Amino acid sequence: MEDPAAIEEKLKSMSPEELKEFQKKNCIFCHIISGKVQSKKVYEDDVCTGVLDINPANPGHILLVPNEHYAIMPMMPDDVIARMFQVAKHLSQSMLKALKAQGTNIFVANGVAAGQKAQHFMIHIIPRMPDDGVSFSLPQKQLTDSDMDEIAKRIRNRLNDLLGIKEEPQQVAGKKVANVQTDLDAVSKIFKNG
Amino acid sequence: MDNCNICKLQDNPIYEDDLIRAVLHKKPSAPGHIIVFPRKHYTIFEQVPDIEVARIFSVANKISTAVFESLQMHGTNILVNNGLAAGQQDNHFVVHIIPRTEGDGLKLEWKPKQLSEEEMSTVELMLKPVAEVMQEPPVEPKKEEKKEPEKLGDENNYLIRQLRRIP
Repeated sequence: MEDPAAIEEKLKSMSPEELKEFQKKNCIFCHIISGKVQSKKVYEDDVCTGVLDINPANPGHILLVPNEHYAIMPMMPDDVIARMFQVAKHLSQSMLKALKAQGTNIFVANGVAAGQKAQHFMIHIIPRMPDDGVSFSLPQKQLTDSDMDEIAKRIRNRLNDLLGIKEEPQQVAGKKVANVQTDLDAVSKIFKNG
Repeated sequence: MDNCNICKLQDNPIYEDDLIRAVLHKKPSAPGHIIVFPRKHYTIFEQVPDIEVARIFSVANKISTAVFESLQMHGTNILVNNGLAAGQQDNHFVVHIIPRTEGDGLKLEWKPKQLSEEEMSTVELMLKPVAEVMQEPPVEPKKEEKKEPEKLGDENNYLIRQLRRIP
């Protein structure tokens, strides 16, 4: 086993490409996709692969991973995201049909605090039955109107920066309201793959 | 749809385009909890056309990043509760974006079940033949006339019937 300090030095001196290669070599999901590690694959195409989770929330729980190594969602191109969730929809429908599931959860964890366990992006598709012991409990809290306004404003501003959209504030009944009706042409050009 | 809360939802807007809308969740699980949804009324995931699926999730990715950066969060979850048994609350398909911080007390996790090799193989035998082939929808020229939302086969009607009972 190499000394951790030595490994860290090695990582620091790597270029982004070398780092990506290093991650791939040590990524169990890349090994699963390439077939080096055994798994139960239930779906495969050019973009992504679906395997049965060996520690499932429920029998039939699928992990859907991109064939290309992406550690986190923000790094992924729009067309790969789009395709993966279209496949997720198909796999969800397959569970309803083949396993007589009464529902499905689609779940993504971005970051350790959100429950991300692996360094390879994945979408969980989980078949559900009533009283199956699984719960994605969403507690409901109340925030003040002014807190909500402030939060919405901050997120919108950041989002518009990311999308390259200019927002013009407008007067509505004497109150300044942000115009969320963005330029549809500009937006559809960004998402030209659909 | 007339009596759908989500169809009417406009408060605290985050994003809107011709196909989808995103707003702050009225009763958030954390500050910055957002729901993204198609403007057309669809009840479950399987009914949402591919183009709208593509738009919803590529925008959700950008919104996740915006939330993470603007509110200085430690992570985000993307969650769909599809069907009553999965915790679906409204009669309209929505995607949740939930900001996360260390020690926030949210329990979005599960206890893994231990399956025997035989049980795993049985599930594989049942699921794989249906899962491994995805029907690509035929490419049709765009029509302008009003269309009924896609009707699904019988296997999905029980989900829709359950959800219609939600006020």
